[in-house]
Amino acid sequence: MEAEQTLQPMERTAEQTGSADLVVAVLSEFDSNTIAKMCDELRMVPGALRIAVLHDDQQNGPPPVASEITQDRASVFLVPSLLPKSDVPATGVVGMSATYQSVFAAAEKLHARGCCIIASKLEAGTPRWAWRIAQPLFERDADLVLPHYARRKFEGLLNACIVAPMMRALYGKRVNNPMGPDFGVSQRLFQKMLGARATGDQLNSLASLTPTALSQNLQIIEVNVGPRIYAPTNWSNMSSVLADVLPPVFVDMERNAPFWQRTRASVPLSVVGETFHLDEDSPAVDTRTMIESFQLGARELQEIWGLVLPPSSLFELRKLSRLPVEQFRLPDELWVRIVYDFALGHRLRTISRDHLLRSMTPLYLGWVASYAHDLTLAGAMSPARRLESLSLAYEAGKSYLVSRWRWPDRFNP
Amino acid sequence: MWEQIKQALVDSTTHFLTRFAHLLPGLAALILALFVSAVFAWILTAIVRRVLASLHFDERLGGWGFSSLAEWSPMKSPTRLISRSVGALVIVSGFLIGIAAFDLDWTYLFVQKMFSYIPDVLAALLVLFVGNVLARFLARSVLIGAVNLNLQYARFLSIGVKWIVIVLAFAMALEHLRIAPGIVELAFGILFGGIVLTLALAVGLSSKDLIAKSVERDVKKASSEGVEDPLGHL
Repeated sequence: MEAEQTLQPMERTAEQTGSADLVVAVLSEFDSNTIAKMCDELRMVPGALRIAVLHDDQQNGPPPVASEITQDRASVFLVPSLLPKSDVPATGVVGMSATYQSVFAAAEKLHARGCCIIASKLEAGTPRWAWRIAQPLFERDADLVLPHYARRKFEGLLNACIVAPMMRALYGKRVNNPMGPDFGVSQRLFQKMLGARATGDQLNSLASLTPTALSQNLQIIEVNVGPRIYAPTNWSNMSSVLADVLPPVFVDMERNAPFWQRTRASVPLSVVGETFHLDEDSPAVDTRTMIESFQLGARELQEIWGLVLPPSSLFELRKLSRLPVEQFRLPDELWVRIVYDFALGHRLRTISRDHLLRSMTPLYLGWVASYAHDLTLAGAMSPARRLESLSLAYEAGKSYLVSRWRWPDRFNP
Repeated sequence: MWEQIKQALVDSTTHFLTRFAHLLPGLAALILALFVSAVFAWILTAIVRRVLASLHFDERLGGWGFSSLAEWSPMKSPTRLISRSVGALVIVSGFLIGIAAFDLDWTYLFVQKMFSYIPDVLAALLVLFVGNVLARFLARSVLIGAVNLNLQYARFLSIGVKWIVIVLAFAMALEHLRIAPGIVELAFGILFGGIVLTLALAVGLSSKDLIAKSVERDVKKASSEGVEDPLGHL
């Protein structure tokens, strides 16, 4: 067996690397040992794959990767120079989009058949999951591999109550984490993303991946990857999160309107891997403060909400704001209509888009409080079933969206 | 005696008729100028409306952050507001040109003064317009921000900010128009100071919760960096 053992850090420039079959971009902050373990695990992948690992840890320097070039195992190269250099790490959907775009550009430069982006940390901390996400790209000819995280009831709620169920209703595929942030992307898809940007189409490389794949009928596979590590949620500062996450989702919705207006019902995606079960649950949230925020919003923001919501929704919100805290419930049907109306308001630019999305914060907190109440009831359904019923409400409300979208002035119940 | 009275009456009638006859060409010119300017205004209004409509001006204006202009416009259409304003400006200009045609010293001076005053009026209108748009935008920003901070006096803050900007814009507009500048300066100082003092007192007296929230937020931010990372909510 021809083997070449390297004990020094294996760092290569793009020119030295030349080409790779798979590009693994590690965007989350891992220490050099974890990166080294990840590279070792990737080296165990069967087949003579050339894997380029993009990681740029300026503090710790390159990890000690022991790479071995063999005929029946993958060879791994660390390529830090293709990632953008920045003193401040990219945050937010817009900031991360630029990083994703440079990962795609690096993958294209290396003529990779696929790329895998690791942007979050898993609780299990297994370094093998990079390959679990990349595997369907090679073995099942997938174009997009999405993660399916095992989540506790208050984790990733913005995705669970707006992004995922809305995409499911719009595009007809039951995606669980359409905005990743961990992805496996085929050459065909990342070339489309690069091409779209080159032609001036303002695609968001993070948020638009799934809608692009869905609207072009590319093959999408979900991988069960276990629970993610989430930072504790600061519920008092949700407005900046909404103003960051929702715009690219609504812009994609506008771009793909001809596609989703023809789609009816939804079908599940192919799933790889075993489902994870979590024992401990997330700590309870302070619903009283959330409901107070909702009540204040209902009192003071009527004028702004009135620009996007129809009178019937405003009337229901006013009724809800008068309910005692313990009886507070925001019905799914109403919440779905609110989200759809805000998406329409975003499209019509009824008011400044930033104002529009920030004014949605009390409504979002109201829904979170209502969801928390639903789960604490005696004999309450599980979070998964609760969110499934929400997804069904999104699907049922789609005809409302289509009518409002086509005739925003005439259809105003 | 009778002859003298008769002569005086004839003289004054002749004088009146002569002066009136002198005015007639000017009057005819004024009517003609008004008619021509009205036709020109109508054509220009139609052209401006069509051009703005083809550019989807109303929709674009919303995108540029001036959506509040629609609330002020006839039929909620800024296109109509602008096209009608252009038409009105043409008619007013036609009227002034018509007056100048009287060929009298005072009309000439009047028109000259009016035309030299027009840039000031336009600047004042622009200041008022921008001030109003800015006031509404800032008021809305403050209202939404304060509600999201769960401040019970959000509306009060928002109204305070709105009036501060409007008063400032109004004072600047009057300054441009050179209308009683001394009084305007004094009134502005009193009003502006009054609003700021009212806000300071009102907010200061009930700011315990604001400061507590602010400190709490800073502590939380310091203890858990990256809490607001949007990717953490996906």
